[in-house]
Amino acid sequence: MDTTNRLKQVADLLLEISSLLMVSGANTNRVDLNIDRFASVLNCESFSLISQKTIILTVVDIKTGENYTKVKNLPSHKIDFTILSLISKASWNAIEEGWSLSNIRDEINRLKNQKRYPRIVVLIAVSFAGAGFCKIFGGDYLNLLIAFVSTFCGLLILQETHKKLFNVYINVFLASLTASTIASLGVYFNLGTQPEAALATSILFLVPGVALINSFSDLLDKNVLNGMVRFANGVMTVLAMALGLFIAMLIFELK
Amino acid sequence: MIETILNILEISIWAGIAAVGFGILFNIPKKAILTVFLLGFGAGFIKTFLLDFQINIVLASLVAASFVGLLSIPLAHSIHQPPVVFSIPAVIPMIPGFYAYETVLSIMSFTFLEKDDAKRLVFMDAIFSNGFTMLFILISLSIGVSLPLLLLRKDTVKKIEN
Repeated sequence: MDTTNRLKQVADLLLEISSLLMVSGANTNRVDLNIDRFASVLNCESFSLISQKTIILTVVDIKTGENYTKVKNLPSHKIDFTILSLISKASWNAIEEGWSLSNIRDEINRLKNQKRYPRIVVLIAVSFAGAGFCKIFGGDYLNLLIAFVSTFCGLLILQETHKKLFNVYINVFLASLTASTIASLGVYFNLGTQPEAALATSILFLVPGVALINSFSDLLDKNVLNGMVRFANGVMTVLAMALGLFIAMLIFELK
Repeated sequence: MIETILNILEISIWAGIAAVGFGILFNIPKKAILTVFLLGFGAGFIKTFLLDFQINIVLASLVAASFVGLLSIPLAHSIHQPPVVFSIPAVIPMIPGFYAYETVLSIMSFTFLEKDDAKRLVFMDAIFSNGFTMLFILISLSIGVSLPLLLLRKDTVKKIEN
């Protein structure tokens, strides 16, 4: 009875960690490795089936051979590299210092409450990134300003609609429509030397970069199913972006 | 010559800024921000430099992403962060978003707007060339980012000696 109870707690903890890693933007291989490290500290072996929405995990006690299986549904994804970094560090510390179950649980609860960057900092940083993209595509500084403003407004809309719990692709569509409408004004009034560059780069903050890179690194690791799912999610996001841009271009009759 | 280099440097600085911007969107640890800027700057510099010599964009992206991937091993040791934390934001400015939306726009024009067969052929060409360039750049970026682990056949960079 005692071992079963312990195994249940271990399974809960490992599922919590893997779901945190998965929604924070880790590739499948990283989730596997971190889980194995924590399981080995707790004298268990773990076997898992990881997908984008559900994780199935079996833990086996190395000494008694008893096992326990549990399924967990994942919350919606929100990329957070600080969590990846902290969990990775915690796993190494746990191995070096031989942490107990409660030590690991305390550490995980502590790092779940990490603060993110303030909203205004994110808005300004991403708008600068949009301006940076515009520079890479050969815009002048007036175009950079347009790209900055349209990225800012687009991200603002994305954050606001995210709070309203719409479908994520609708959020992306609305953000893309907002950003490209503002940038289209630049093309319409022919501002700067390369107004098209500002239009092209105003929606790039929505590009699902992490999903697409993780998709191919999963495929390289032979996690084909997860790789395909991530790729499909990425393509859906790109389609939603393109639809927003397309409608903005129709409104302003741009070719 | 000097003007070209200054121009490349200016673009690279903006690439570094773009990398940091996305890093903050992905909530990277504060300690990693400078590293992300330098990696994004370096990758941008290599890519723009190679493009200036008329080298294909896929190859240029592969070289730049490999630079990020290889540097991520010593950097992971020195700032005690797993490599993805700074290698993914650093390659984000090279994400082929431009090709992605060119592809989708060509698909939409091909399907909904254009009736003239000769012009539709042009859109066919645009769909295939932009679409496959996008795919190959994406593959190059992920190969570059996972290069150290692919080459050294280790599960984690922690065990790779400096």
